Amino acid sequence: MGFGSSCFQMFVSASAGCLRKLLVALTLLTAGLIAILYYGRLEDLQPSFGSNTLRHCAVDNLWTWECEGQHCVRRESRGARTSLATCRMKCGSVPLWPQPTGVTDLASQSIPFRLKVLRLEVRSSYIRRLLQDAFDVFRSNLENLVPSSCPEEASKEHLHDFLVTLEVRSEDRQPLLKLATNESYQLLLQSAGAAKLRAEIRAQSFFGARHGLETLTQLVWWDDTSLRVLTRAHIIDAPRFAHRGVLLDTARNFLPIRSLRAAVDGLAACKLNTLHWHLSDSQSFPFDAQRLPNMARYGAYSSALVYSARDVAELVEYATVRGVRVVVELDAPAHAGNGWQWGPNLSVCVNQQPWSMFCGEPPCGQLNPDSEELYVVLGELYRDLVALTNVTDVFHVGGDELNLQCWARELRGPLTHEELLAKWAKFQKRVLQLLAGAMGGTLPRAVVLWSSQMTRPHYARMYLDPRVYVIQTWGASAWREAPALLQAGFRVILSHLDAWYLDCGFGDWHGGETGACSPVASWQTIYQHRPWTELVPRNLILGGEACLWGEMVDENSLDAKMWPRAAAFSERMWTDPAIDDATLRDAQVRLAVQRERLVARGIAADAMWPQWCDQNPDKCLEPLDTSHA
Amino acid sequence: MDVVLLLQLLSAALCLCGAEDSRSGWQWSWACKAGRCIKSDYPVSHAYAASRGTSNITRSSQSACRLTCGQYGALWPRPTGPTTIGEQVVTFHPSRIRFDLQEVAASNRGPTEFVAACTQLFLDNLLVECANSVAVNIRAETVYGARHGLETLSQLVARVPAPLAGAGRGRSASRKHLLLMASNVRLSDAPVFRYRGLMLDTARNFLPLYAMKRTLDAMAASKLNVLHWHATDSQSFPLESPRVPQLARRRFGAYSARQVYSPQDVEHLLEYARLRGVRIIMEVDAPSHAGNGWQWGEAAGLGQLAVCVNQQPWRKYCIQPPCGQLNPTNPNLYRVLRDLYRDILDVFPLGEALHMAEIVDWMAARGQGRTQDDFLQLWADYQSTALRTLDEEVGNSNTPIILWSSQLTQPDIIGRFLSKDRYIIQTWVPASSSLPTELLAKGYKVIYSTKDTWYLDHGFWGSTVYHNWRVVYDNRIPRKGGVLGGEACMWSELVDNQSLDMKVWPRTAAMAERLWTDPDSKSTTAEARFYRHRQRLVTRGIKADALAPAYCYQNEGECQ
Repeated sequence: MGFGSSCFQMFVSASAGCLRKLLVALTLLTAGLIAILYYGRLEDLQPSFGSNTLRHCAVDNLWTWECEGQHCVRRESRGARTSLATCRMKCGSVPLWPQPTGVTDLASQSIPFRLKVLRLEVRSSYIRRLLQDAFDVFRSNLENLVPSSCPEEASKEHLHDFLVTLEVRSEDRQPLLKLATNESYQLLLQSAGAAKLRAEIRAQSFFGARHGLETLTQLVWWDDTSLRVLTRAHIIDAPRFAHRGVLLDTARNFLPIRSLRAAVDGLAACKLNTLHWHLSDSQSFPFDAQRLPNMARYGAYSSALVYSARDVAELVEYATVRGVRVVVELDAPAHAGNGWQWGPNLSVCVNQQPWSMFCGEPPCGQLNPDSEELYVVLGELYRDLVALTNVTDVFHVGGDELNLQCWARELRGPLTHEELLAKWAKFQKRVLQLLAGAMGGTLPRAVVLWSSQMTRPHYARMYLDPRVYVIQTWGASAWREAPALLQAGFRVILSHLDAWYLDCGFGDWHGGETGACSPVASWQTIYQHRPWTELVPRNLILGGEACLWGEMVDENSLDAKMWPRAAAFSERMWTDPAIDDATLRDAQVRLAVQRERLVARGIAADAMWPQWCDQNPDKCLEPLDTSHA
Repeated sequence: MDVVLLLQLLSAALCLCGAEDSRSGWQWSWACKAGRCIKSDYPVSHAYAASRGTSNITRSSQSACRLTCGQYGALWPRPTGPTTIGEQVVTFHPSRIRFDLQEVAASNRGPTEFVAACTQLFLDNLLVECANSVAVNIRAETVYGARHGLETLSQLVARVPAPLAGAGRGRSASRKHLLLMASNVRLSDAPVFRYRGLMLDTARNFLPLYAMKRTLDAMAASKLNVLHWHATDSQSFPLESPRVPQLARRRFGAYSARQVYSPQDVEHLLEYARLRGVRIIMEVDAPSHAGNGWQWGEAAGLGQLAVCVNQQPWRKYCIQPPCGQLNPTNPNLYRVLRDLYRDILDVFPLGEALHMAEIVDWMAARGQGRTQDDFLQLWADYQSTALRTLDEEVGNSNTPIILWSSQLTQPDIIGRFLSKDRYIIQTWVPASSSLPTELLAKGYKVIYSTKDTWYLDHGFWGSTVYHNWRVVYDNRIPRKGGVLGGEACMWSELVDNQSLDMKVWPRTAAMAERLWTDPDSKSTTAEARFYRHRQRLVTRGIKADALAPAYCYQNEGECQ
């Protein structure tokens, strides 16, 4: 093809029916022609299944790896070969993610095994079924390590028996993750006679035992023709923070349940324990509440893009088995518009223009605090969501970015700034009453509220009770919201937008000059952010959340924007290692392995460096530069 | 050569594509007002919508409204010639489309086969979106023009929920959909720039063949016409060369035995691209950015083919690990290059351009005592020897050669080393740089890869910033002789098959309209059509990134 002209003209028109007979004849002729072309083309397509797939299962014998110093070094393979995966497990720091906080004593020997020799023994009085489910997830995660076209090979040195014992000393009949839940575990992996291996996991709760299984997964890898596992391990582990979450937003763009499940799979792999589900916003209301069908009817993007009560309940159950609590946020009183247009005055400023006067991003919309009907609707919604998500001690009531101009203009007034804030405070009080009502009279131990004007020291003291509220601070670290709140006795969850906002840096979606925040937070930025070094008292910091707001992400790019960066965040929350060059170099190599695990579980995580660096990890451990800057 | 393509769309019929909603659901409607599709204030039930029959069918889905709303409806890139899209639409079934290829056949056999294959791709594209008698007449000078015409035609189609209740009974029955085509359309179209490219890098991270094919699908949908394949680099050499098997197949350059491209793979990809109106230009990076794959020279008695391979500390010898550059003083290098060129020529169409790379950062590496000028001369000698070797293999000196801009292409010295009749320079400088205009003034042909807008890897490393689609769209390049066009570059240090789509798309499609249409207007004007095009890419299986809340797709103009 030359750099030739490729202009063309097109003419489409409705023709008269006068040539019908001719057309019928032409149709038959063309149909025949198409059939011939079609089959001809099928043949053309055959080479597309060419060498890439055929070689898929071939043992890759180009390279071998040797442990030198603390790193695996790539060499030409001559005869006996050690795969990269095998080398990693016995060289330098073993690629566990997040790194355990207690004793970590691992053998360097390993042994191959087949999945069918895996057995489970449960030592727990009440939660046998849940432990069985968690074990099934564990087993299927191991299955995912086996390349789809590669059968496991048998050999003489394989294990005959691999017994996993789960012992949970908990009296909970229906275990639910709470802030006070003990998530620690102890894992003891050792030989139990010839060709027999036994992994004992002891924990105080179901959640600890599940984390133990997750760690055990990381002691197993695929080695060319079979799975291998270390022959001995002793690990004692517990998280540094109780609340380790990621926020996903299903209102700006809808995320199908399968995407949310995949996100939970990733959270579980990283021992993150909270999916903060920002369910609704001014753009849409995708929750189809049975008693309030108009909410989704007016609020959802289409009747197919909704979450039924069953969807929510099933996701919560799916997450529980994977050690994850779903915290639903129904944002209010701001960030509520589409979905609320159907009732008498439930909301104000919905889709109002010019939007920049009445809200932070289009479309506008806020709840109407003067509407008694509003509280009836809210009460119904809380009742549904509390029941569906098994709320015990954490509930998120939203509360960010209230636009006072909107209320000043739409509500009966005139109202001063102070009066508007008082109205807002009264709204929050009503919310607490409704929430207590939905929960049978008691409030959850942590009612989470976004930081805002209301949470500034002056108003917080006036309007908010530190025994009830936990404040999720999202301003930049330099805004210093958290120190003041901690001083006033509030518990906090940290989500600094300059470090832990996963949506920053992708530019402006509504056509302005720059995006809301920038740049893209690299995994290193996320990992190195350690705000609590200066914060006291430490015991009021419940934990942190990385936030992936949904304006510029949907199911197509969710994985790549979330992973592996949320994994970097997870080690900060679970292990909280000190920051120095050695830690960072070590983390890079281990995180690259964790990223491979995520990909094996079907998560399309972004790449961290050239594959050459996976194969030569010691030679890439400086900040990566690109030639084409 | 004239290519005339006639299509007949026959008789309305229910299209069984898609079955997502149940009849108990509800739907919104859209109306076109002043070029914008405006969403209705409240939704109605499917049952109610069905009872209204086929009247106002363009209101029943947003994509149907978009089809004929505004001068350019849902077309991307925007046509450059006179365009009218009337409000009339017809429903049709994709299996009832006939192609009349008689006038194509009148010329010769190759084009007929090409157009026949294109018509099948067109049908596939319609089927994933999922009749009266309509005649469509596409007239083009080349088969590639005809292909673009078919692409445009596929963009004159939208899916709507079937208005008739007869398709299913009871609440649980799934909904059927109809395909709708704008039926009163007249347009002519031609690209402003003839080189509209995308560069993929398969060396930093390997891209499987299917990922490259997916990319070609999206390029075709956006009327891009060049895939610049940066096949090799210092990290890896995945390109299999039968004459020099050491490079990839025999362990030196590939990451693993299955992460290679065989000649058959390349041939297959070339054909796949050709049918989508895309040519592939191969780049074997040299003399710099060549390391892994070239280590075997001494063992084979050929001396050092490359120097500094995997040398540490890498910061002293190159800008990213691993280092490696070809050894221009070793005559055996040119023997190996000759074999490599021969293998490439065996697969590629006769006369196809070649990208010979040339970004050298070896100045400091070797040979103390040499001056800057000596190095430039050494480098230029390499280039002329390499080119002579290529020309001998081709049998003539007509192969267009593309080089990256570099020290060697500085306006004040380029004339000493590189002939303007032979070399096309791909500039990768910021929009503010005068380099491209200076080269143009000296008579060189230039391809723009404006690095502060069209470098798709930016934003994920160092102090670079991400260029979102508006920035990509708003980057204008001069329209004058010598400017062949532009190219977006996806360097792959931080991308592989997992995230390729969301980093390349839909941003590269924004560049596609800049290069095809080059409108005076900015991205804001193109928003509604672009959102629709992004949806089109997703429908065709490309995991394109999201651009804005879905609210903004559904409420055109409300988010500005």
